[in-house]
Amino acid sequence: MANLLWLQGGACSGNTMSFLNAEEPSACDLVTDFGINVLWQPSLGLELGDQVKSIIEKCISGEIKLDIFVFEGTVINAPNGTGEWNRFCGRPMKEWVKELAAAADFVVAIGDCATWGGIPATAPNPSDSEGLQFLKREKGGALGADFTAKSGLPVINIPGCPAHPDWVTQILVGVATGRAGDLTLDEFQRPKTFFSSFTQTGCTRNMHFAYKVSTTAFGQRKGCLFYDLGCRGPMTHSPCNRILWNRHSSKTRAGMPCLGCTEPEFPFYDLAPGTVFKTQTVMGVPRDMPEGVDKKGYIKLTAAAKGAAPAWAEEDIFVV
Amino acid sequence: MADAKKKGLSEAERQAYIDRYGLTPAEASYDILIRMIEDMFADGLKTEVEPFPETDREFGQLLDALRELSPDQLRQKLILSGWLLEPYGEEQMRCQECMYYLVHKRWCDLPELDLPAKPDWWCRLWRI
Repeated sequence: MANLLWLQGGACSGNTMSFLNAEEPSACDLVTDFGINVLWQPSLGLELGDQVKSIIEKCISGEIKLDIFVFEGTVINAPNGTGEWNRFCGRPMKEWVKELAAAADFVVAIGDCATWGGIPATAPNPSDSEGLQFLKREKGGALGADFTAKSGLPVINIPGCPAHPDWVTQILVGVATGRAGDLTLDEFQRPKTFFSSFTQTGCTRNMHFAYKVSTTAFGQRKGCLFYDLGCRGPMTHSPCNRILWNRHSSKTRAGMPCLGCTEPEFPFYDLAPGTVFKTQTVMGVPRDMPEGVDKKGYIKLTAAAKGAAPAWAEEDIFVV
Repeated sequence: MADAKKKGLSEAERQAYIDRYGLTPAEASYDILIRMIEDMFADGLKTEVEPFPETDREFGQLLDALRELSPDQLRQKLILSGWLLEPYGEEQMRCQECMYYLVHKRWCDLPELDLPAKPDWWCRLWRI
């Protein structure tokens, strides 16, 4: 039996909605098959007000063993570092977060907001938001760069806007069943099992990427979304095309460019006008290259690929 | 409705196309469109090669202007897009490597242009 407490800070509840749609395993499986005892969760908990406060205080005091502390949403520091803009159970949420993180065996940040601040922390960041252990790329965050939970692990970051439900439940099962030792984390404390490959890995448009054929308008099934429509699939670490959404699709499969939501810089370019759904270029060359590719190599590759592209690559091959 | 707002040809321009080719650009086949483009340059057409749209906002403004044009307004499309019948710049940029160019169809697939093109041509909407 592993006790889990889930709280929300500066959040839209999107990650809770995602979590409730998990299938492999489902949220119910966590309880029935994997022995997770959900002490409280904002959308599932039956307790209100002082009852919730009592659960939290018992977790902090050690009266209830807190195995897993899950946090969704940003840690809000406004105004003036007090965190008063986000009060919960009678005090700023940021104070609960620090005390619960210190009491827990494992701390798991779910979604971009809890991992690195996400959209709320976009400049000018009016709520003075940050993630649990990062603010965008900068390590530190609400708990500090050196924080480790009682297990010895830092915050386990599961980013995404929202995170895929199965990333959440699979990591929770791993931790709850004593397999945390098998987890390896990357430089942003994301589980490598999910975040070593790219969104592009498994994308059905890869052949069009290879032959340098672009999607030039929304709704086209031919072409790659990277060249013109701002897709960040080639430089975003996520398994969105390996662990499919709703088990059968992904953004790129549905014709929607990847927005790079599992990376600390999301939303990119601080959402400046003209930067969303448009590949940013310098003299016609993409500003952000596929990871590991330089400009010279990219130009050479393009010339070779276009020269070798077969005729079918220019057609819509997904005939209904 | 959107097409109704697009700028069309003047009667004189329309008649000039009919006299020379028997039809207007909107009705022309691939080969005739190529001929029309080459003839315009042979007749001394100068296009707006610069400034190169450095930012996406500038790029978008060009696209907005092109969207105002009807398929018949070939001359204006070429002028606005900075069309050239040769590679451009130190790096010899050309349609062949452009993202919008379909090498087998020899066609510019940018919806706002939607024109035939040869591999060694170029325009300032070039992207790689």
